[in-house]
Amino acid sequence: MTMFHFFNCAILTFGPHAVYYSATPLSEYDTLGTSVKAALVYLGTALVKLVCLATFLQVSENDGFDPYQELLKALIGFIDVAGLYFALTQLTHRNISQNHKFQAVGLGWAFADSVLHRLAPLWMGARGLEFTWEYILQGLEANANLVLSISLAALASLIWLRKNKPKTLIPIIYACAGIVATMPSITSYLRRGLGWYFPKVVGFELFTSLVMAFISWQLFSACQRPSA
Amino acid sequence: MATFKKSGGLRELLESMYSVIALLFILVACVELCDAAAAVDVYRLIQYDMSGSPFGSRFAALNHHAASLRFPPGADLSRTVLIIPLREMNMTFVREYITQKKPLGGLLFLLPEVLSFKHGGNKQVYEKEKMKKLLAELEQLLVHSNIPYPVYFAFENDDIDTVLTEIKKNDAMGQPATATTGGYKLVIPTAEPKKVASPTITNIQGWLSGLKADGDANQLPTIAIVASYDTFGAAPALSVGSDSNGSGIVALLEIARLFSLLYSNPKTRGRYNLLFGLTSGGPYNYNGTQKWLRSFDQRLCESIDYAICLNSIGSWDNELWIHVSKPPENAYIKQIFEGFSNVAEELDLKVGLKHKKINISNPRVAWEHEQFSRLRVTAATLSGLSVAPELFEGTGSLFDGRQYVNESAISRGVKLVAESLAKHIYGHQGKGVQIFADESSLAANPAYIRSWLDLFSQTPRVAPFLSKNDPFVMALKKELADHVDEVNVQHENLEGIFTFYDSTSARLNIYQVASVTFDLLLLLVLGSYLIVLFCFLVITTRGVDDLISLFRRPPSRKVKTA
Repeated sequence: MTMFHFFNCAILTFGPHAVYYSATPLSEYDTLGTSVKAALVYLGTALVKLVCLATFLQVSENDGFDPYQELLKALIGFIDVAGLYFALTQLTHRNISQNHKFQAVGLGWAFADSVLHRLAPLWMGARGLEFTWEYILQGLEANANLVLSISLAALASLIWLRKNKPKTLIPIIYACAGIVATMPSITSYLRRGLGWYFPKVVGFELFTSLVMAFISWQLFSACQRPSA
Repeated sequence: MATFKKSGGLRELLESMYSVIALLFILVACVELCDAAAAVDVYRLIQYDMSGSPFGSRFAALNHHAASLRFPPGADLSRTVLIIPLREMNMTFVREYITQKKPLGGLLFLLPEVLSFKHGGNKQVYEKEKMKKLLAELEQLLVHSNIPYPVYFAFENDDIDTVLTEIKKNDAMGQPATATTGGYKLVIPTAEPKKVASPTITNIQGWLSGLKADGDANQLPTIAIVASYDTFGAAPALSVGSDSNGSGIVALLEIARLFSLLYSNPKTRGRYNLLFGLTSGGPYNYNGTQKWLRSFDQRLCESIDYAICLNSIGSWDNELWIHVSKPPENAYIKQIFEGFSNVAEELDLKVGLKHKKINISNPRVAWEHEQFSRLRVTAATLSGLSVAPELFEGTGSLFDGRQYVNESAISRGVKLVAESLAKHIYGHQGKGVQIFADESSLAANPAYIRSWLDLFSQTPRVAPFLSKNDPFVMALKKELADHVDEVNVQHENLEGIFTFYDSTSARLNIYQVASVTFDLLLLLVLGSYLIVLFCFLVITTRGVDDLISLFRRPPSRKVKTA
């Protein structure tokens, strides 16, 4: 029963990544190498972030929302963006179109994120006899994270890889990218500052991820159109 | 060169793989019992064999779903644990289940927290008499039955109360917890109970010598004061027996202290030796007393004038009983009883005499004095009980805790015995002389009585589970040594007809589990979600045709060429 539950939560957390890879043309163009490289870049970024957090952040006794600390965390979160930039632009990719490049990078990024943040708690917790909804909610969060990562990769690729963008859309692109990049800070504010419960936070994440995905899709296709 | 390197590298790879696999196995076998909804201390029903017949609860490990008394009638309970709080106890129901040997996964009785000696403290016990009667009945039923499933006792607390209300709600809706409907699971992961190898009983005796006049070659007469200190109850880890027989031992220690004060000065030392006996094996037909008496040499036995045994003198109101086995017309018995009655009158309490004949062929020994009487030594038992208890009745039951005893009752008992002894020893015939008067330096010390009574009320003392050098027994020996001249400790084996099994307490984990149907449903939902996601992605990125082409078999070559 308990391994069954673990299996269920595992396919909820990691299944969509595999499905995304096999369903879209990514599998046809064999972009696995790109995803793996992106995952490794994520690992490096996570280590750097850890070191920075350990150096600059103070451990607070109460679980409240401290604006200064959260601001610091958000700034350190931008290291994420820097890592993504590195993965998109500096790594040598085989000849894959930009369209597929950002998807592969986003996929690898999200997969590494899920594995690092969610595999260990899942293994330790979901196998026990006691039943909680926590791991299912964590899986849903992983799904939302996948969508957000791909949108962020799309926006980032728009910012740095595409040279000719319609002038009017540039601020919108930067705004959306900013929102998606600061998503972790927003969720932690909701959880700690406003005291939302986990299901509510996960629902919010799912909703915003779909919205941002839609917006970035529109922006991407708008930039695809040859500029006038 | 290259092949060399390759094979070496391959070996290294294999070796590292072995270590990884080993690590994986360790991880897989790792902790599965993590956070539970609640974890409670539970105490198991005693398990013993008497002359080969098994009694008590024969199993210790538990891994079943929980149900309350409101289970739907006709439900199969053979893999369910019934949780029964004492307030809702239905005696006929429990009796029916046990005597008719109906199949059950386990029983968990919830006792009110006030009875716990760890947390209860001195809170007031409501409906004392009703609870006492109910617990006594339950204990007698459980101790004398052979129960083929685990039976545990636990104290109510907030965690377990919330769990129980939820279980009751589920049961009321007609879904008892099974593997397919979820609910709560009770898990006690202990090993199978093993026999206690050669249980020992330890008798402690203290000798206070009387004043021997110069040139007096004869042995001084001896008076013995005896009490048994061990207990037996349905839950051996909870069997503290404050009244039976903590009160007796505390009184004995206090009497020893008072007489040691008197005997320390040769001018006030009496012409009698005093022999104090703290015996074990009380619940088992006073087996320890019997073995102790057998170890006496003949001269000592003959020199004993009489013996007073103390039993349950902590919860009486106005009347104490002296139980004898020799007929009341016997001169010695008359003398003892008169001595006690006179003192009782002065102290404003009543003493009655009860005679119970000994039946030599009957192995049952109800009072400690009977062991003396069987060796032709005059003896009597002073007790607050008026009727002889049955086997394993009232020897440290669940309600016999600190709240059940009354320190002042013990004080008065001490005074009664001490004054009567003193009258006999010093030969005062007149009335109105009180040696151990209140406010004097020889008064019974309430603080001493209270502190020892508190200690006894927190120490379960079932003899098979007390080791040979148990710290509590050593403490008793040390305390007696403070008061008397000479202390001896005698270790004996408990009579062979009794065999006991260990595992008296454990930790219960209560898990809230989901049913199998829930997991299957979840699998179904997730499977369909992933399939929908797959189709959605294929449609949006490659087009509908690609999706359909996935399902159509690739056209065979023949068709294509044709």
